[in-house]
Amino acid sequence: MKDIKNKLNLIYELSRLDFKLKYYGSALGLFWSLLKPFMMLGILYIVFFYFLKVNIPNYEVYLFLGIIFWNFFNDTTKDIAPGIAAKTHLLQGTNLPPFIVVAGTVLHSFWTFLITLGIFFIFFFAFGLHLATSVTMLILIVPLLVLLTAGASYFIAPLYMKFKDFGHIWDIFLQMLFWTTPIVYDYKLVPPSLSKWYLLNPISRLIIDARSVIIDGVYPEMKQIIITIIITALLCTAGTFIFKKYGKRFAEEL
Amino acid sequence: MIEARNITKFYRIPHEKTGTLFEQLLGRLKNRIMYEDFYAIKNASFSIQKGEMVGLIGKNGSGKTTLLKILGGIIEPTTGSFSIEGTVAPLLSLSVGFHNELSAKENLYLYGAVLGMSRREIKERLMAIFEFAGLERFADMKLKHFSSGMTARLAFATMVQTDPDVLLLDEIFAVGDKDFIPHCVSILNSYKHRGKTIIFASHDLTAVAKHCNKTILLDKGELKMFDETKKVLEYYKNL
Repeated sequence: MKDIKNKLNLIYELSRLDFKLKYYGSALGLFWSLLKPFMMLGILYIVFFYFLKVNIPNYEVYLFLGIIFWNFFNDTTKDIAPGIAAKTHLLQGTNLPPFIVVAGTVLHSFWTFLITLGIFFIFFFAFGLHLATSVTMLILIVPLLVLLTAGASYFIAPLYMKFKDFGHIWDIFLQMLFWTTPIVYDYKLVPPSLSKWYLLNPISRLIIDARSVIIDGVYPEMKQIIITIIITALLCTAGTFIFKKYGKRFAEEL
Repeated sequence: MIEARNITKFYRIPHEKTGTLFEQLLGRLKNRIMYEDFYAIKNASFSIQKGEMVGLIGKNGSGKTTLLKILGGIIEPTTGSFSIEGTVAPLLSLSVGFHNELSAKENLYLYGAVLGMSRREIKERLMAIFEFAGLERFADMKLKHFSSGMTARLAFATMVQTDPDVLLLDEIFAVGDKDFIPHCVSILNSYKHRGKTIIFASHDLTAVAKHCNKTILLDKGELKMFDETKKVLEYYKNL
């Protein structure tokens, strides 16, 4: 029990460290993290709403929610390598478990996610929209997003450490994933022959569910939720397995 | 008590630097990756009783730091195992786990958390740590502006305050000044009296002779000798 408390405290302290290091000496500080989703929202909105004439009701809100979910996954998995590098001193000088370091990075991103989600709701009400009881489903959807992102992070962390060019590969992968996730468009546009494969992407599933419970006020199907849970669980298991096997040597490869 | 059973640490060092995935694949295809096998620690077994202060000597590259890193849980042995009773505090590099961009105070909160202390527990000890290190005025200064001696003092003071059962020390007297070293020595002596176990790696043979009853001699990763300090030093001089 004491051990778990210590570990949680340590994860919290590490996420604080990430926060401090990220915003030390920057004039706008935390504001940068909030500016990024708004810039993305602006440019994607102009291109897809005005130029390509996407016909989705409440497209601003629709797009914003997709961006927030996506950014959490995108930013966390990109922060893994710098996050570990920033703790070189601890990994080489103390018995800090690498497992905790990655958890700290995920927690740090999660804070930013929560703040942007708060701003989203201000935005949401400002547009005169209303919430239904289905919004309570976020209690399930948000933890799934966190678990999914953590699973992916544990999976790729050893790859980042082992191969110096993994960052480039991951960048390309994220680019592809961005466009194969229904962030700027509706997933129903995907040809039916492909949609079975398309919906294996758990981020897509969570974004679709989140929009449904927040914007449309509709509960997602139980069956779909269970499938999402299974996919997330598989990814987490794979991630922890890979990390257990290859993550121990962090201190030696830094 | 510390018990090590056949600890071996083995490194495979590639001749060509194959740092990227692309190079790795290319190397595989051409079958060009050549390795050199290197034993940092070779089959070391020993047991240290509670309350002993043991010296650890050997030439550069003999595996002293590697052995301490293994015992401190920082790296894992390739084969073999060890067990340690009680909490362990490794003080291996002069900066321990301090981050240059954080202030001394912030570093202590973080470092304390790594050692399993809550923010509150650290807060209670904060003043004592700075006082011991003689650095009260520098609590809010970033660590990058500290001299190496100041950093070492802070590290030692922090470690003392966490009150570990087993201490792993690597060259701690190398940077302390004439005022601080006696301070350290008196602390070490009181630790010995309180039945704490200490492993003390050093090139300073006089210090080893003075403080350690027993000494381990490492040579090219092998445990050459583990006996009374006097005998080991005699042997080492002729090596």
